Amino acid sequence: MITLWRIFIASWKNLTRNAWIAIATIFVFMMALLSVNILLGVNAMLERVVTLLENKVDMTVAFEPATSEAIVNQARFYLTSLPQVSSVRFVTAAEVLTAFKIRHADDPKGLAALDELNGNPLGAQLVIKAKQSDDYPFLAQAVQSPQYKPFIQKQTYDDHQVAIARVREVSRSVRLIGAALVAIFSLFGLLIAFNAIRVAIYTQREEISIMRLVGASSSFIRGPFILEGLWLAMLTLVFSAIAIGLIIIWLEPSLRPLLDGEDSGLAAFFVGQWPLILLIEGGSLIGLTTVISWLAVGKYIRR
Amino acid sequence: MIHLEHITKIYHPDSVALQDVSLKIEAGEFVSIVGQSGAGKTTLAKIMIAEEPPTHGRVLVGGWDITRIRSHEIPELRRQIGVIFQDYKLLQKKTVYENVTFALEVAGAPQKRIREIVPQVLKIVGLEGKAHRFPVQLSGGEQQRVVIARSLVHRPKILLADEPTGNLDTMNTHDIMELLLKINHFGTTVILVTHNREVVNGLRRRVITLKDGKILSDLAQGKYVL
Repeated sequence: MITLWRIFIASWKNLTRNAWIAIATIFVFMMALLSVNILLGVNAMLERVVTLLENKVDMTVAFEPATSEAIVNQARFYLTSLPQVSSVRFVTAAEVLTAFKIRHADDPKGLAALDELNGNPLGAQLVIKAKQSDDYPFLAQAVQSPQYKPFIQKQTYDDHQVAIARVREVSRSVRLIGAALVAIFSLFGLLIAFNAIRVAIYTQREEISIMRLVGASSSFIRGPFILEGLWLAMLTLVFSAIAIGLIIIWLEPSLRPLLDGEDSGLAAFFVGQWPLILLIEGGSLIGLTTVISWLAVGKYIRR
Repeated sequence: MIHLEHITKIYHPDSVALQDVSLKIEAGEFVSIVGQSGAGKTTLAKIMIAEEPPTHGRVLVGGWDITRIRSHEIPELRRQIGVIFQDYKLLQKKTVYENVTFALEVAGAPQKRIREIVPQVLKIVGLEGKAHRFPVQLSGGEQQRVVIARSLVHRPKILLADEPTGNLDTMNTHDIMELLLKINHFGTTVILVTHNREVVNGLRRRVITLKDGKILSDLAQGKYVL
């Protein structure tokens, strides 16, 4: 117990008396961690963009003007009951006409032609959102059931098919490239941290050999260095968390206008995933500092 | 106390540091090991504290065969032999007090004992007023006193001093030698490795002279003969 306490005290004194080495090591550790976390953040943000784009995709079913509201409602209930459907919005013929007029406000000729017609030439619409973009082909077929086919003027899903395919392609690429970059940066981070520990211990090699000469056991010599590594790892985690928090607070408001007022998903990602991130990054850093400190000190413990 | 039997140390086939060296040092002796640079003095000292293993031969310290000592047994041996070096080998990031304390802490000494012993040894070496200074804030002579204090805290039966006055002026050399004689007077075996003629001639104690890795002479009241 007394030895553990002495190792604890020695590690803290080492840290404070070698403050510059400690600061430099923490800085290097932080660079490694931040590079990995920035990539994780970019990845999360791109996934959020993909989700937002996917949410914008829908399928519009336009009914013949003469179709009764009851039939449209029947079709709506039928579609809502399908498990692939997220939501179905009923747009009345009058609303469709209003939207058309707003959309063509700068086209007086078109509006004049519309006025010449008696009544509303446009029918009601159902705007369908699928739970997954994969489900749209199925829903397109489901809408064309013999029961409703005679009343359907057109469906606009085909117009979005290319967009959906592209979004899905981008999403896949983003995930793949993001994962590869995170893996590469994690490896670089580990190598940088590995070297930082070795350099910090190399600068104290003379002290290590002296400790041995005055009768210190290997564990008594190693203990403070390993504990010092843990101090550094924990301080790095704290400072990195603060830095990431500040970056998010600073960045999120600037990103909102770029995403049509939607949030970028950065804060949500780090708030939601912090236990896992801490476990993986903290665990790797602490494990690395312990193993490398053990090996690096051992190199200088001679007979 | 120390018994070396036919010790040979070969670093490389063309670099033989010691050749068939045998000697006995009894408890309470003050022995000077002298010789020119490269004679094998420091290698002999390193073998005595198990910093180097001999290539051939046997080393006994207080009846303990340390020839093939295991790594985990070395700390125990080092706590029984006080060692003083020419370049002091102090922990630069620790104060005088902490340097001396460290030698006791590594042996698991209780805090109460540390608080009793450390001020005593610092008083013996005349550094009681500089306990909280760092080595860099001390003169060479003072640093060597810290090393002596550190080596004394275990009350070792053997004190090995490898060129302890090599970096000191005449005044400090005299003080350090007085201190070593005082320690010997209290019963500690002192082994002095040196090439300082004046120091050895002034002692009038046993002198072992090494030349080319072999014992040239071993005289009970010897002088520096090279």
